[in-house]
Amino acid sequence: MTREEIKDVILEIIEDIDEDAEFDNLDADAPLRDQLDLDSMDFLDIVMELRKRYQLQIPEDEYPELASLTSCVNYLEPKLKDA
Amino acid sequence: MAEYQLIIIGGGLSGIAAGIRAARFGVKTLLLEQHTIPGGLNSYYFRQGQILETGLHAMTNYAASGNKRAPLNVLFRQLKLSRKAFATHEQVGSEIRFPDAFLQFSNDPLFLEQEVARSFPESVDRFVSLKKSIAEYDPFAVQPWKSARGFLSQTLGNPLLEEMLLLPLMVYGNPEEHDMDMGQFVIMFRSVFEEGFFRPGGTIREFLTMLLDQFKGFGGEIRYRALVKEIYREKGKVKGIRLADGEILTADAVLSTVGMPETIKLSGWDLPQQAYGGRMSFMETVSLVDQKAREGLDSSATILFYNKKSQLHYQRPATFLDLSWGVICFPDNFQGLEKEERFQIRNTNAANYALWKAAAPAEYKALKQQWTHAAISNAEEVIGPYSDNVIYQDSFTPLTVERFTRKAEGAIYGSPLKIKDGKTPWPNLFIAGTDQGYLGIVGAMLSGVTVINRHILS
Repeated sequence: MTREEIKDVILEIIEDIDEDAEFDNLDADAPLRDQLDLDSMDFLDIVMELRKRYQLQIPEDEYPELASLTSCVNYLEPKLKDA
Repeated sequence: MAEYQLIIIGGGLSGIAAGIRAARFGVKTLLLEQHTIPGGLNSYYFRQGQILETGLHAMTNYAASGNKRAPLNVLFRQLKLSRKAFATHEQVGSEIRFPDAFLQFSNDPLFLEQEVARSFPESVDRFVSLKKSIAEYDPFAVQPWKSARGFLSQTLGNPLLEEMLLLPLMVYGNPEEHDMDMGQFVIMFRSVFEEGFFRPGGTIREFLTMLLDQFKGFGGEIRYRALVKEIYREKGKVKGIRLADGEILTADAVLSTVGMPETIKLSGWDLPQQAYGGRMSFMETVSLVDQKAREGLDSSATILFYNKKSQLHYQRPATFLDLSWGVICFPDNFQGLEKEERFQIRNTNAANYALWKAAAPAEYKALKQQWTHAAISNAEEVIGPYSDNVIYQDSFTPLTVERFTRKAEGAIYGSPLKIKDGKTPWPNLFIAGTDQGYLGIVGAMLSGVTVINRHILS
């Protein structure tokens, strides 16, 4: 998967989790949590969706890697390169 | 290999929410309900061609869609249900009525503040700082029991106002007698006075159908008339459950929502059952009343919390029912509901389980009639006469609740001791629902969700 595709997957997952999510002014380098008003339960959903879709196991101590859109892509790029 | 990854005991709201959460992420889940109808404490039945709800007066934790951090909306996201598509009807307004004062409140928290200013002008500043303390308090942090009454008398210093505020919060969620844990108080204060009351569109039946459709849509299975007799263990782990007919079902993990006393019994848990038995149970009388009784009846509130004394005696009474305080609910008084030819009045009074239990079966029916009559006459003293216009009435005693919901001693708010982490001595047996510590319908469902998140999904 390319970086662009991974980004789309993340946004699609968030949209799927939160019907009120708005991406218009999303800053890719700023925390998703603050911008989209998500909580830790929503982050668990992102992790669970990635597990469901790509059999990807993300250990709890690596959740902070998912903080911003850019950090998500950086973290997932090697893991999803063959997906 | 086990037949299921997860078996959930109890098709009430916490069990169904837990089931949706697990099934959503592919956990092979079986939900077991002892009755033919789901819902547990919040179920329904039919009489006179009319659907009657068993538990629901109102849901607490009202939040408009879009407010993402509100518990109701968090819950909907967690269950992957559309909050926007979920119709809600907010309360018209409720009242706390004591002999020397009354306070009205709605889903606008400022209204209660104005009401406090009207009835207790000397206390309004302290009430505002009380609200600030509550906003700053983290009720989910694990900490030792702390007295809500102690906190109230320190922050308010107005005994009557303290009693009045405690009445709705205790009667809608406190398993303990006399006092309330600070964390529970904060949760209840927010859910009742800051978020407020609403009803889902339709009845509890449609609400349950929506949830079960979601559960089944994610691949979850449900079985009715499946009474669990034992949670069976082997070598320090839970292996599955045994049903009343002897059938054994195996699972990698079991979630019990039937309350601590029943879970102790089913699992052979080495704990004193007594300590987990709640003493607060209630009798509820439902009356279907002809519309013509409306005239002259004080029936405009959504929920009326009354106390005939200036102190609240929140405890198991010495008689079958305590008629000195209670709740009168008008389930038709929510915004946007059409007025029908008949309307409901629901009376709730604290009841003594032990006395009801000790009654001989032959006496039980007569006692129920006698106390239903007393409860209605008592309500008439508060709101005016309606008994001549009653078309149908029915009562649930603590025994009814125990029989249908498996809540020991009919204690609808469960054990005074909560298992906040949802854990048991077995690594794959967990507790959710009322005895895990959250309150109300939204709370019970969030309990199911959080226990699954923490122990099954993580």
